[in-house]
Amino acid sequence: MSNLTRRSFLKSATAGTSGLMLGITIPASALAKDKPFKQDEFNPNAFIHLTEDGKTTIYCGRCEMGQGISTALPAAVADEMEADWEQVTVLQAEGNEDKYGPQATGGSASIRLMYIPMREAGAKAKFMLEAAAAKTWDTDIKNCYAKKHFVFLKNSDKKLSFGELASLAATMPAPENPKLKEKSDYAYIGKDLKRHDQDDVVVGKRTYGVDTKLPGLKYAAIVHCPVLDGKLKSVDKSAALAIKGVSDVVEIERLDVPYGSLGGVAVVADNSWTAQQGVKALKVEWDAGKNGIYDTKTYKQQLIANVEKPAQVMDARGDATTGLKNAKNTHSATYTGGHLSHSPMEPNASVVWVQDDSCEVWASTQSPADIQKVLGQFLKRKPKDIKVNVMMAGGAFGRKFKCDYVHEAAAISQQVKAPVQLIWSREEDMRTGYYHSTSAQHLQAGFDDEGNVDSWLQRVAFPSINSLFDKSVKRAPKGATKDVFNHPFGIENMQVESGEALAHTRIGWYRAVYAIFYGFAFSSFADELAHKAGMDPFEFLNKLYDNNTNPKQAEQIERSKAVLALAADKSGYHQRDKLPKGQAIGLAVHYSFNSYVAMAVHVDVDGDNIKVLNVDCAVDCGQILNTDGATAQMEGAVVMGMSLSLYTEIVFRDGQVVNSNFHNYPVLRINEMPNVRVHLIDSDKEPTGLGEPGVSPFPPALTNAIFAATGKRYRDLPIKPISV
Amino acid sequence: MTKTLIINGETVSIDVDESMPLLWFLRDRLEFTGTKFGCGSGLCGACTVHLNGQAIRACVTPVGSLADQSITTIEGLSDNGDHPLQKAWLDNRVPQCGYCQAGQIMNAASLLSQNTQPSDQDIEMAMQGNICRCGTYQRIKKAIRDAADELAKEA
Ligand code: FES
Ligand code: FES
Repeated sequence: MSNLTRRSFLKSATAGTSGLMLGITIPASALAKDKPFKQDEFNPNAFIHLTEDGKTTIYCGRCEMGQGISTALPAAVADEMEADWEQVTVLQAEGNEDKYGPQATGGSASIRLMYIPMREAGAKAKFMLEAAAAKTWDTDIKNCYAKKHFVFLKNSDKKLSFGELASLAATMPAPENPKLKEKSDYAYIGKDLKRHDQDDVVVGKRTYGVDTKLPGLKYAAIVHCPVLDGKLKSVDKSAALAIKGVSDVVEIERLDVPYGSLGGVAVVADNSWTAQQGVKALKVEWDAGKNGIYDTKTYKQQLIANVEKPAQVMDARGDATTGLKNAKNTHSATYTGGHLSHSPMEPNASVVWVQDDSCEVWASTQSPADIQKVLGQFLKRKPKDIKVNVMMAGGAFGRKFKCDYVHEAAAISQQVKAPVQLIWSREEDMRTGYYHSTSAQHLQAGFDDEGNVDSWLQRVAFPSINSLFDKSVKRAPKGATKDVFNHPFGIENMQVESGEALAHTRIGWYRAVYAIFYGFAFSSFADELAHKAGMDPFEFLNKLYDNNTNPKQAEQIERSKAVLALAADKSGYHQRDKLPKGQAIGLAVHYSFNSYVAMAVHVDVDGDNIKVLNVDCAVDCGQILNTDGATAQMEGAVVMGMSLSLYTEIVFRDGQVVNSNFHNYPVLRINEMPNVRVHLIDSDKEPTGLGEPGVSPFPPALTNAIFAATGKRYRDLPIKPISV
Repeated sequence: MTKTLIINGETVSIDVDESMPLLWFLRDRLEFTGTKFGCGSGLCGACTVHLNGQAIRACVTPVGSLADQSITTIEGLSDNGDHPLQKAWLDNRVPQCGYCQAGQIMNAASLLSQNTQPSDQDIEMAMQGNICRCGTYQRIKKAIRDAADELAKEA
């Protein structure tokens, strides 16, 4: 029984090193850092490994957390290589950005960054295999072509398998600029290829960070300081230490670097449950410090006050103040939203083994390089000396970008001198996370009788992610507000202001990030204006786009309008006057992370009972790598969008999170699942990511639908907060 | 004499504190990691296994209470991963991160063993306790309906 996990663990930990190996070249412009990618065509840890028996291993450098990247990118490699997908094994690459390029997996950037480099790696391999065949047959490479794991000789029945060619291919020179396939020749790209790991999932063999087992492993549980920058006052360890199986109680100090621990007390035992019992038996007192005053209810009121008065101007074009003063009609509204916890189903977990001369990590993570950096700082070792095995994450949504939990496991391992598995309880995961910002936005617009909006003021206030890196940050900086200013609506006089919002907790990226509340404000306010102007929201949105005459945004306008039209059409929006009483369809469209998504949400509202019947999602993410993967991402985004529209909100009182588990942080369950229909636009444009862009259109499409059905406008999310 | 229980057909002795939840007995004692930890409080369904064929939450079931009982985990649901639900899960490409799916499949298997032709409402009722944060619910519903159809054909 127990061998199962060990075996699959070993499989990912040790990969062979003979046969054909290929590295890839990543254009320096694609790298976040200016360090150029090391070009080494026969790097022993590179992306493709073909052995003499034909088995092909393709490494995925980007982290997998359920978004399907470890299928989408390797399938593109296999396609260019003409490999047979059935003979391909995908392995997660270890943390090493010199070898694998940027690995920090977020911002829906994997496909944008890696699509071409990975395809080129495949095309190079194919060329070398063909060259090897040409040499064997003593003919010109032009007479050889690869297909499904073989190289064929034209006009003959000769063929050689990839395995037979592997060793010779490894000696062939790699071409500089390999030719990539035409769209019409794709075997896997753009198809609904099955994910490489689902077979393992349904039999319980897919192993996650939480599943790592090592000989001599010790298990830890932890309780954190519940308030940011608070301190441990006292801890009575005696009751915990008296529990049979508990071996140690370890105090962990706050590590004041961006992804360091909040500080806490950990209990180490011979199994997780005993460690958890130990934590419950601790008597800990904390000194809350200055953030002990944090209360989200009063804070939100303060944010509202800060956006309903002039704030710091971040960007302006034309003269919005005069425009608003002289406008024929004006309207204003304030939108708010609460903190969110990512709450992936797998809580934070990792195994770390710190030894005198080595440190090895097995973690569900979105950013192995950050683990290397933080552990390097903590242990005073070189980041390169920290070996990170990237494990499959059981969901992440931005949370596992931050490695505080890995730092903690390292601190414990260092003390107890053994490999340690630290698993956070659900309660700790929910209470001491990095939260999506609570926010307030105040919007004002001026428009004429034909529904032309010529002035738009948007004041935003939310504690920004930048506060993680610089505690003096008092308001959202320009980098965080530029998406508002650059929104493709055609507004002549536009002003964006940022109101004061000091952070009292750790703020982090959450799937879709700021696009969640920006999308909510833009699409809600446009809908309000349409109703004020007495226009059909669909016509009104089109007018807003058509009024944009900036040639630089022409493509954005065209693609935004196309997804909007598609979602409206598919949903029956234009026939909505035939719907029974209580039913309506709301629209929203948002451009984020370089992709375009529109949603039409069809609701049936009866009093407080809001039922979402159908959601039509229209998507333009350029060229699609995997249609099934793209569809799944949209279905998931609807579920997350619906959870945060209706229910999820993290509440702080006296500096601490009040929510604790899924009973008071309710997420969407199957009984409320609407019928989601995803409509993908077939495009030849540059491929862009889809992990996040689907989240933001849902909330406004829902509240717009509710307004159309009932006349009630929801401007504060979630709309059905649970009282905790 | 130490108590024993049967896990996926094998007899195993309960050589831990009897109040340890079955979940941790499986995961840490037997290193049987297919069954997942999600909430520890019976709220998410990630830890669902079968007790004599019926779904239970392993995170809130003390292992000592299971003496001589028969437990089935995801690893033991079928011999070759060919339970109609496992096949339907693959045909419908259900898993995203996959972390919740062992619990989903075990819960669905328990449903189908009691109700071979569940209505949509039956499915929603029975599966409400299983959270999927990745949002695979639509495919789960479809996969359960497909598996039920398949079972009806076999019958
Ligand atoms: S872990 Fe048992 S129900 Fe959540
Ligand atoms: S597939 Fe990720 S939680 Fe269900």
